[in-house]
Amino acid sequence: MLRKTLLITLLIALLAACAPQATPTVAPVATDVPATEVVMTEAPTEAPAPAMLSFTDGLGREVKLDGPAQYVISLAPSNTEILFAIGAGSQVVGRDAYSDYPAEARDVTDIGDTYADLNTELIVSLKPDLILAAEINTAEQVKVLEDLGLTVYYLKNPLTLEEMYTNLEIVAQLTGKDATALIDSLKARVAAVDEKIMPLSSRPGVFYEIDGTDPAKPYTAGSGTFINLLIERAGGHNIASDIEGYPQLSLEQVVAADPAFIILGDSAFGVTAESIAARPGWENLSAVKNGQVLPFDDNLLSRPGPRLVDGLEALAELLRPELFK
Amino acid sequence: MPRPYITSALFLLIALLLSIAVGSIFIPPGELWRVLIGMTTNESFRTIVWDIRLPRTILITLVGAALAGSGAAYQGLFRNPLADPYLIGVASGAGLGAVFALSIQWQYTPLGLLAVPLIAFIASLLTVYLVYMFANIGGVVPTTNLILAGVAFSSFATSLTSFLMLRSTGELRRAIGWLLGGVSLIGWDVTLALIPYLLIGLTTLVLNGYALNILQFGDDQATQMGLNARRTKLIIIVAASLVTAAAVSFAGIIGFVGLVVPHVVRIWWGVDYRRIIPLSIVSGAGLLLLADILARVVIAPQELPLGIITALVGAPFFLWVLRRAKNQGTW
Repeated sequence: MLRKTLLITLLIALLAACAPQATPTVAPVATDVPATEVVMTEAPTEAPAPAMLSFTDGLGREVKLDGPAQYVISLAPSNTEILFAIGAGSQVVGRDAYSDYPAEARDVTDIGDTYADLNTELIVSLKPDLILAAEINTAEQVKVLEDLGLTVYYLKNPLTLEEMYTNLEIVAQLTGKDATALIDSLKARVAAVDEKIMPLSSRPGVFYEIDGTDPAKPYTAGSGTFINLLIERAGGHNIASDIEGYPQLSLEQVVAADPAFIILGDSAFGVTAESIAARPGWENLSAVKNGQVLPFDDNLLSRPGPRLVDGLEALAELLRPELFK
Repeated sequence: MPRPYITSALFLLIALLLSIAVGSIFIPPGELWRVLIGMTTNESFRTIVWDIRLPRTILITLVGAALAGSGAAYQGLFRNPLADPYLIGVASGAGLGAVFALSIQWQYTPLGLLAVPLIAFIASLLTVYLVYMFANIGGVVPTTNLILAGVAFSSFATSLTSFLMLRSTGELRRAIGWLLGGVSLIGWDVTLALIPYLLIGLTTLVLNGYALNILQFGDDQATQMGLNARRTKLIIIVAASLVTAAAVSFAGIIGFVGLVVPHVVRIWWGVDYRRIIPLSIVSGAGLLLLADILARVVIAPQELPLGIITALVGAPFFLWVLRRAKNQGTW
């Protein structure tokens, strides 16, 4: 009997240990930064100890820093772009293989391919005081780095421009910078685009091609993506906006929608207006006939950082060249 | 190749040392020695050796041992030179489980972090169980039925896996990486979790070497010689599947090791399963370690999936052994 009770107690204890943690209750925060709560606590000792910074990251983990991070490793191109944009570029000691912007970032040590295997040995030897992960990183990668005694902050992908500004703010706080001026200038540039686009009543149809390897079923971007958000903000109508995520459209759907513009997000992979016109069944689309098949730098829309605003401006200029002379 | 046990043990020892010494960060031999005996002051080197290289080295050793050991057992059991540890559905079941688990966004909890290997493990054992049940006709499990049911279930599971991957939007690269055998989840937890399964499973296989020798005469003959063929086969299948499922769940699908190592052992050291199984275990561990070192070095600082290297290096090596073999056709 005693043995049975013991066994049951043990089982319950095991189950409790395995159960997912309860969601933390959301405390009302009075700051204007909704996603993160920054608590500055002075150590109660007499010696002037450095202020401790405490954050909650995108995985709900508590991240503590002894002070603003001075040796940062970025695990995603978007994070690298954010770090350089807020003026923390000189604090970046490592970056992932895909971080190629700004040009200075290429001189920073390459710590491997985020999708495949991060070079953990190199990361440890760089002695970072902060590793900035993004949603392209996996929870397992975060765990591996954390187990090595490193401090990791997981930055969630923004879904709106406002959330992107918040991310700039968070990274600025992590690295001891001030992003206010940057955010103000970004907001002003978005407002300038809005001012030109908002009064317009017509919305030309846009097909944004991500991957047309199969010309009968090209991949595009639907709702919930920055590509969709910024096409609409730039005065276009994304013909895939009623589908969520990154769907494959059939050529029939593209022909039925007959978009005024075809924007080639895959132009970096050698897709051109000529190769589009040569695809069977595409030659009769209005955009092909009117020469409105336009190459585009996909990095401006696929990396959730400050260059999204560059993307918005570039899109608006493509769709309404007459307004941006 | 004389002195099988000494030769293979020496091979494994060299591979182990190399695996600890080689990495993207160069550590001078003297410093490496100080790190290993705990006399170093360099904290980065200590972390790199103890928390990155050592758990990975041991994990690879265990996986190599598991695949080669169970491969040898299956070849003996099925009396088929093409048998490998994945023959009756372990890998395709694990692949389906892993890709399914990857398609779900898990919470950042201990359980969520282990979801992929756990679900792969369960799916893998479930597949083998189903294969065995379908091959079982009135209490008899003919070897041919087992192989055919295994092939059918593997195809079914592989199709489902492909379907899941086509439907997924995000985690495709992770899934492909897993299916090619990438050891991304490193650390002591994973390595230690593997040990009990391998210890039990591989010990069982080693102890059944003599039974495998007898099974070479066919089930009827073996029964006449006093062996409970059905029970022995079941024990070997359970042990080999357990070992392979554990290895595959944590390291992904690594091909070729389980097929080739037993053959090399057989060509070099003869057809006695009391020898083939332990020698395959030791040599398989060494071979996979060497493959892993190559995977780390070839396109450094990036790493290649291990499954690509094993066949890329293993196939030419095997063909070389095959050409030089004096006792050809001894199956």
